[in-house]
Formats: sequence, C-alpha cells, structure tokens
Amino acid sequence: MTTSTASLHAPDTATRRAVRRAADPLVPPSVWDLVEPHLLDVRKPAQYVGGEVNMVAKAWADVQTRWLLCYPDAYEVGQPNQGIQILYELLNERPTSMAHRAYAPWLDMDAVMREHGLPVFSLEGHVPLWAFDVFAVTLPHELAHTNLLNLMDLGGIPHRSADRTADHPLVVVGGHAAFNPEPLADFVDVALAGDGEEFTLELDAVLAAWKRDRDAGAVNGDARQQRTELLDRLARNVEGAYVPEFYEAKRTRDGGLKATVPTRKGLPDKVVKRTVQDLEQWQYPKKQLVPMTEVVHERFSVEIFRGCTRGCRFCQAGMITRPVRERRPETIQNMVVEGVKNTGFEEVGLLSLSSADHAHIGDIARDLADHYDGTTTSLSLPSTRVDAFNITLSNELARNGRRTGLTFAPEAGSERMRAVINKMVSEEDMLRTAELSFANGWRHVKLYFMVGLPTETDEDVEAIGHLGVKVYEIAKRHGQRNKVTVSVGGFVPKPHTPFQWVRQDTPEEIRRKLGLIRQVVKDHRGVTVRTNDPDEGVIEGLLARGGRELCDVVEAAWRRGALFDGWHETTTLPTWLQALEDCGIDLAEHNQRARGEREVLPWDHLDSGLEKSWLWDDWQEAIAERELDDCRWIPCYDCGVCPGLELQHDTGFDDGRKPLPIVASPRPLGGDATLPVVLARQADAR
Amino acid sequence: MSHRHRVRYTKLDRVRFVSARDLTAVWERALRRANLPIAYSEGFRPHAKVSFPDALSVGLESTGEYAELTFSERIDADSAFMALSATLPDGMDITTHLEVPDNASKLARLLPATLWRATWTDPAVDRSALFDLLDQRTRDLLAATTSEVVKHKPSGDKVIDVRAAVLDLVAAFPASPDVHSVDATGAPRIILSAVIRNDGPTVRPLDLLQAMRAADGGASLLPDPHRVTRVAQGERVDGGLREALTGEVVALAPGRLAGAA
Repeated sequence: MTTSTASLHAPDTATRRAVRRAADPLVPPSVWDLVEPHLLDVRKPAQYVGGEVNMVAKAWADVQTRWLLCYPDAYEVGQPNQGIQILYELLNERPTSMAHRAYAPWLDMDAVMREHGLPVFSLEGHVPLWAFDVFAVTLPHELAHTNLLNLMDLGGIPHRSADRTADHPLVVVGGHAAFNPEPLADFVDVALAGDGEEFTLELDAVLAAWKRDRDAGAVNGDARQQRTELLDRLARNVEGAYVPEFYEAKRTRDGGLKATVPTRKGLPDKVVKRTVQDLEQWQYPKKQLVPMTEVVHERFSVEIFRGCTRGCRFCQAGMITRPVRERRPETIQNMVVEGVKNTGFEEVGLLSLSSADHAHIGDIARDLADHYDGTTTSLSLPSTRVDAFNITLSNELARNGRRTGLTFAPEAGSERMRAVINKMVSEEDMLRTAELSFANGWRHVKLYFMVGLPTETDEDVEAIGHLGVKVYEIAKRHGQRNKVTVSVGGFVPKPHTPFQWVRQDTPEEIRRKLGLIRQVVKDHRGVTVRTNDPDEGVIEGLLARGGRELCDVVEAAWRRGALFDGWHETTTLPTWLQALEDCGIDLAEHNQRARGEREVLPWDHLDSGLEKSWLWDDWQEAIAERELDDCRWIPCYDCGVCPGLELQHDTGFDDGRKPLPIVASPRPLGGDATLPVVLARQADAR
Repeated sequence: MSHRHRVRYTKLDRVRFVSARDLTAVWERALRRANLPIAYSEGFRPHAKVSFPDALSVGLESTGEYAELTFSERIDADSAFMALSATLPDGMDITTHLEVPDNASKLARLLPATLWRATWTDPAVDRSALFDLLDQRTRDLLAATTSEVVKHKPSGDKVIDVRAAVLDLVAAFPASPDVHSVDATGAPRIILSAVIRNDGPTVRPLDLLQAMRAADGGASLLPDPHRVTRVAQGERVDGGLREALTGEVVALAPGRLAGAA
C-alpha cells in the first residue's frame, strides 16, 4: 500500500487506475492539509471539515467498491437529506463497499479551490472526487443541474460522459428530477427513477464483478470500451438503470421529438422506476449524521410511509411515489427511540408526503408523545390536513412544547380552482379548522397557495386573498396578536403529472397575480403575504420538461457562471437567457406552450407506472372541474402503477376510519421543497 | 444542592472550526447521547444549563476551554464525564472536572488570565532568522510602556493598549526538542508564549502580533503563525499560569519548568 503524490486536480491515467483497483489499491491522497490553510477565508468553514458524530470512515484498501454520495447543493441544505443518509448506511454496512459524502462548495470556497487547484473532496477523508468508483448524486429538483456539472469539473473528471473512460467514476443520478434526466443526458452515465435501496446494492454488485474482471484482465478493449462494457452490464442486469447514451432521441422532420429509443438490442423500450414494496425491510436511518454547524433541518427523521394517493394533480412527488407503503407503528416507535439515542437530536420528524394520513397516525403520535412526556424531545409532522383530526394530532405532538404555528395547504383560493387541482377541501372545512386551531390556543396559521394554475382566472387568484382575510377575521376573535401568513408560490408544471401538458405562466404574469392578492389583503395588517421570486420558476420549468436539446444550454449556462440557481444570493436568470440565445433555443416554446395529447414527451420512455392515457384523462377531468377521490378509500381507478409494477398499497387501515376531507402539503418532501424551506427557516430566525 | 460541575476541555483538530454559536447544540446533543440528567431552564423555550465563559474565535485550537454544567440530580461525575467525553466529537475531550460548591465564585472570575501559544512551522521560513526577530520584538514590547493597536469592529474602530494586557511573553526555539516543540517532521517549532489578561479590553494573540509588527514599517517581516492555541486559563504566577480547576502550574514556555527561567 502506497500513498500517491500525483497531481490532485489532474492526476495521470496510471494514478486514476491505481486508486480504483479492487485489491491493493493506491491510497489516494487526503487534501486536508491543502484545504485547511484556506478555511478561515471562507464562510462557515465547519461545513468542509467532516467529523460529524456517526460519520463512517472505512479504510480505502479494505473494500472493493468506493462511492461518493453527493447532494449537489450547499451543506446546510444537503446534510439532512434522507436519501443520502439511507444509502450511506447501506453501503457502509456492506463489508465490500464504502461511502463518503460531498456537497457543493459555496461560491467563496469554489473560488479558493479553483485558485489553488484543489479538487472537490469527500468529508470523510478529504479524498478527491476523481478517485471514487461511483459519483452518485441526488437531484431533488432542477435547480442544481449547473452545480452537478461544476462538481464534476472541479472534481477532476470530464463533465461530458462521452469524454470519460473506465478510469473515471461512474456518474449516477437519482431523486425526483431523475424522472426526467434528459437535459442531463450528455453528462450522466446512469439515471434511476424511484427508490434507491435495492437498486444501489444491485448496482454495487455488478460494479464489483466488473472491477474484479477488469483487474483480472478479463474485460476487453481500451479504457473507453471497458466503460461501455460496465454500462452495458448495468443496463441489462440492474432493473431501472437508464443509460442515456444507449438511447437516441429521434426527431421528426420539423424538429419535434419522434421517440426516444434504445440503440442496443435487448434493452427495454421503457425503463421502469424502482419501488421498494416492503419498507419494513429497510429500517434506515439508524445512525443519522449529526451536524456540527447549522443546517436547515436539525432533527432525527423517520419516513412513516412512502407514496401518496391524494391525487393532487399538480404534485409530482405524489404521482411518482405511488403506491402507498406504510411502516408499522411499532417499527416507527423503535426507529425513533433508537435514532434519538444515537443522535441526541431534540426534534423528531415523522416524514411523508401527507403524514397525518398514516392509518395509525393517532396511535403513533400518542405512543411517542407518551414516551417523551416530560422530556424536551419534540415531535413534528411536516405536513398536515385541514380538519379537526389534524388539530387533535397537533395538540398531541405539541404536548412538550409550544402551540405556535400550524400550517395548512389549501393550495388554491376558490372552490372551483381546488376542484381543478383535486385538492378536496371546502371553504367551510378551512374556516372551521381555523376556528378550531385558534380556539385550541394556536396563535399563528400559515396557509400555502399557488398561482399560475391551469384555467386560473383573476377571480380565482383574488380568492386567495379573501380566504386569508376570512381566516384572519377568525384569528382576531381569539386574540388580537394572532397572525395569519399567506404563502404563495408560482406553479411549475412537472413531468409524470396530469398537468404535464399545460403552459406555464411567465414571471410577469405571476407578479401581476401576486399583486392582485396583495391588493386584497392590504388593509389587514395581521395578514402577511410571502412570495418566492417568480424568476426562479423559469429555470425550474424549463429543465423540468425539457429534452436533450437542453444539454448544451445547461453547459452554456454553467460556462457563463450559473451556479446555485435556486438561491437568492445568486441571480442566474440573465445568464440562462444568454445561454438559451447561444444555443438558439426559444424559452416560450418550452415554458409557455401547451403540449398536445399525441405529442411525444421527452420522458415517455421512462416509466413511472402511471399510464399516459390515465394522466390525460385526469387532465380532462381537471378541465371539467371534477374531483377524484383518494384511491386508498375507493375502488381502483387504474392509474396504472399497482398492476403495471405488480405492486399494491401497503396500509394498515383496518380500523374502519373513514377518509377525512383533505389535505396535505407536498412541500416538505416535494421536488421543489428545499428552497422554500430554507427561506422559512431564515424567516423564523428573525 | 445544585449539582453544578465545571469542566476543562479541548478543541483540537477539525472541531476548532466549529463556531462558538454552534457549540451549545453540539454539547446538548452529546449530553443527550450520554443520557445525562442535565437541568433545563424554565420558560417558553427551555435550554440545557450549559454555559461557556467566553467564545474562542473560529479556527483557534485550545486545550484550555471551560464549561459549567448544572444537572437536575446527583451524578457519578467520573463515569458521567468519561461517557460525555467519549460521545463528544473527535478533538473535543474533557480533561478535568470539578464539582462546584454552592458558594463558589463565578467561573469567569477564576479565569483572569490565559496562556496562549503561537507556533510557526512553515518549512519555507528561515527559522533562526524568525526566532531572532521574534525575540527582539518580544523584548521591545516588554520594554515599552504602551503599545496601541487599532481593532476594526462593525461598531467602529477601537484603540486598545496591548502592552497593558500582556503579563508575560517569551519566544522559544527549543534547543532540546520535546514532543510539544517539534513539528510532524521532527523540526523544532518556533513558539511564542504569552500570558494575557482576560479582564479589561479583549486582547487576542492576533492583536499581540499586530503590536509586534508595528516596527515592520509596512513590510510584513513577521509571518502569520501556523497555529494559535489557547493552552490554559487561570491565574498568572511566576514562570507560568496556575490552571483554574486543577491548581497545577503550566510553564510559560514548553520544555521549561515553572520558575526555572
């Protein structure tokens, strides 16, 4: 075993090859001694040092496969990510593999690293990115695509997959934005739609076998061909492994998309998403990493179920994570108690897309509240329904703490608009719930809404303001200091939803609509209106529904300096508009064009389980303002997921509980969740 | 009975980048992992009764950090602090603990002075020349009656007298290196040791260096040290510092016995 002294940023091929040998590898250099002298020149240096409690640092030479797991955004946003945490434990538990983590260096650190030739490194051993076998990145939303390219470049590997060989890491992406990875098709090697647990272990096994063969001289060809051999094995042997370079986007004569088809025999026309049917077999996290510096969620988190069947038509997270798979109450209790012991966190998050919908949520909340009665441990559900049950639940969870704020997500202001988006809550429900909230001593109600929804009129928009005012009238009766916050975001249409065909509002239209709401509430000082920058939805919308024609745009935007596209600290829209112009791509053609029923969509070859025809029918139902019930409670309406993927709902609702009217906010876990949450955090701190 | 305990702990290696702001959360979580009955404050937002007498700047390392903890019940201090030390992040270790009688004076009053050390290990620097310069500047500073430097603060510039705060100062280039005075390559470090008052205006080692650079006349002859360490806090005695919790005397310069100057 030797330690390399090769160039850290551009190692030679022999070094690249030596560090990735399965057995007796060259141990890559730690860049810690080179990074350390600069840490006092950057903001929040603790984010670059690692050393968190529950960190695992296995010896490089003791394993055969080495993964670098990455959340391509700042540490403070990425550290709490559940997906990374789960895969980190899984890979480190396997004796033959190891996982390190990396996050995007903030702009000041980026400049320091470029100036001094320092590569992107792992927090576990400050090992350069280029030394790993796999660079696995979660894409929670579309606003980190430029960061991904930057990380590869700064990590010492070519950002275009065509320029990489078997001596470079395999670049794998997952997460919600990987349900349409086409704008990144030229950059990533493998994309996975769906759950990562089984997929990751399967990929790791194929990788390990290929490495053994390669070390034994049993993989033919040069390094480029050896890489292709690995990709071929993955595409054939690991279900859900979508290799963009083995598919071609065929164009019609007028430039439209004809079909995206495999270019190799034996590969599937449609790559299906992966779904873990039995969550009981995957009881992670056990030992969640505990940050030593401030991050957006400082709590021990357990997913209490995966999937959602509320059927909100705008919600990509709800559509692509079907079916519902619940964890058993006793498992949840166990995971929480062990997790709190192992981390020392004071807050416990019971996560899901709609946590109050767990069939046994009442028992779960009561048992945990009993267990932690009289302690300082607090419990939270990041999503809530608009009904009395929810207040009872919130009271239970707040037993140790304070009754400060409750959040509800009616999403739209008028009854008509809520029928279109399938948010089944009546105004009466909303007002009665508000009454009950304030009567129970809650002092602040936050309401989440969207504007820019399909078929929306000015009247629908103004109804948001009116609803906010009505809730405030109730608030006032229970206390002059009670408050109501109306939080409004601009709607961004997403793939694999019934709204995947609709036109998106321009930022100017969104701004005008936000103005209408402000006008309605302007005389009510207890109502605060909070909005996001409408410009941010432009890039998100473009990348969400774009195809491979956008690869050059992503690259051009990154080359022109776009990074951290979702942050207020950066203004990247002008850069993107310039990049679009460079590439001759028309923004309105992408964002403001309604797609037709028969149009081939860039993600049609990626199978989320939902039938395209069902999505279209549901879109027609939306236009007709007809609602669709939660399929947990009504007979199957054949969206396609369960029979198509041989899955079923896994819930314990044998308690005869009737479905309650509505509603969960998808935001805490949703695709575009991260950024508003950061803002909320900063706002709370004020 | 209040079950108050005081500890001395280290902040070495990577944890020295953890800010004073984040320290409370790090300790509260460690206390919960160690399952110790820490007391909580009353009120709307209860917090664990752990207090730190003063903040250490991010990036400085220390073997002389202190904390005061109040427990809700009697604890077996030896095993409790061993468990706590084990679950604190790497680099943060409890080295001394002491139960506090009810009538004890405030912790901050037991820490009137700090022994600091700055070390230079840059192989590119001519160490003999650097030592001669440091030694000269040390004599100059001790001989002066005042030595004013300007501190830039958000609230405006402030002039402080460094000389008034310096109780003891010595530059060392140990001829017979011990473990404290050699770097990783075995080459001797240059070490500037200072005892600085904690009462009065805050004077840190970097202020001291700024004062010692005054004679540079714009040229930067005195490079930044590689590492600055808060060694211990307590009371200044001849040749060193009497550490607050143990009462042991720490020698001013490494390799020298207290009083054997």
